Amino acid sequence: MLECCSVDFSYKAQTQAIQQVSLTIHAGEFLAIAGRNGSGKTTLTRLLMALRKPTSGDILLHGTSTKPYSPADMAHHIGYVFQNPDRQIFRDTVFSEVSYGPEQLGYSPEQIQAYTQEALAVTGLSALAGAYPSTLSRGQKQRLAIASALAMQPALLILDEPTSGQDAQECQKLLALLNKLHAQGKTILLITHDMEILAHHAQRVIVMDHGRKGFDGSPAELFQHEDLAAWGLSAPSAFTISRSVAAFGIRQTCLMEPLIRELSQKLRRKP
Amino acid sequence: MMQKFAPLTKLLLTLFITLWSIMLQSMTALGLLIAGQLLLLVASQVRATVYKGIASLLLFAALLAGIQLALSGDTTLAITTALKMTAMTLVFFILLATTRMQDLSIALVSQCRVPHEYAFMLTAALRFIPDFLNESKAIQEAQACRGYRSQGNPLKRLTAYAAILKPLVLKAVSRSETMALSLELRGFANRRMSSFRSRVVLTARDYAAVMVMTGLSVFILNFC
Repeated sequence: MLECCSVDFSYKAQTQAIQQVSLTIHAGEFLAIAGRNGSGKTTLTRLLMALRKPTSGDILLHGTSTKPYSPADMAHHIGYVFQNPDRQIFRDTVFSEVSYGPEQLGYSPEQIQAYTQEALAVTGLSALAGAYPSTLSRGQKQRLAIASALAMQPALLILDEPTSGQDAQECQKLLALLNKLHAQGKTILLITHDMEILAHHAQRVIVMDHGRKGFDGSPAELFQHEDLAAWGLSAPSAFTISRSVAAFGIRQTCLMEPLIRELSQKLRRKP
Repeated sequence: MMQKFAPLTKLLLTLFITLWSIMLQSMTALGLLIAGQLLLLVASQVRATVYKGIASLLLFAALLAGIQLALSGDTTLAITTALKMTAMTLVFFILLATTRMQDLSIALVSQCRVPHEYAFMLTAALRFIPDFLNESKAIQEAQACRGYRSQGNPLKRLTAYAAILKPLVLKAVSRSETMALSLELRGFANRRMSSFRSRVVLTARDYAAVMVMTGLSVFILNFC
């Protein structure tokens, strides 16, 4: 659905923030972007959203160049959830905050009502529809930002480190929500530093390295890659443990649950 | 060049140039005053962004001259007003582009005897302008992703701008609260024992500059 063709981008003449990045995002994928701070992750997603324009190369949406599109045009197709939800909250109630997007995109009053209610229901915020947004917890605000994006009916949802600064419970709720949206057919693109999240949820990972695409493959392939540490990443605990006990016939896995299951079975079998 | 002078000298320069701009009536003299200030900026090797600000100032001055001309029909008055405004404002660019905010604050407190709270308020407000602009840009981007467009007639644009203004004000208030708390926790109120790391004492260069400025003022007062 979205394709980057040899995209270059620089903020200033000297520094090349994105260099020759080519990739395709397919409909229905759960994709993660990882990499060091300043490696170009956020810049790449900003280019996808048309917040920035490539200095060379092109970004295609369903085969059409996005060069003439504004971010408001892209909002029909892509929902962008920023790291800091406070930057967008400005209305008096949660309901009216979520309905801002559909209003801007010119939907009918009936559609606005329906899309807003649907987005609130999906994100578990229906009970807080009348609440003053500033009184919400950090996790609730993040879900409000997701609801605001979902109400515009985008096919692709981009989330920039949505779990940062959240407690474990809110984090789990958020990831369960993303899984639910993915199961409903939404394409999810997640920027994350958390390798556990990446291992558990992403189908495909792109690693950005000094503005270039360093890796594009599955999480399992990524954790075995020799450049993993050079990209500023580390394998999740389950992968490291399973690799160190591989000699005892334990299968290599990125996930903790199957590892614990297999280890308990092995230990039970021992006299 | 201007970085070598003490903040107090630059504050005095600001005061003198403001007075000269009021006193001078001739277009040539005002033009020379502006040219002199531009030369000071060039000699001080200020950042390119300062010149962008000056370009906006010149544009605003031209607009002001246009309005004045349309209202009064007096070309000389319109040009003189615009030149006076440019000369008065340009000196603040010199002051702010060549002085560290903390040095300015120290000079205001220790040499101009401005109460510390007021001096801090002034310098903090100036210090946070770039942050405020960056925050405004970030909010505009966040709202653009939700369909915000700055289009249509001025009234429509103004109404739409609420989507930017409200989060910006909320963030600024929240930030000021955090900052106030942080300052209190770091002993802001403890004025009796406080000291400054930097020194902003006047040197021979500063005294010479003050004498030149006073001499110029006497000259303008008598001959212009």
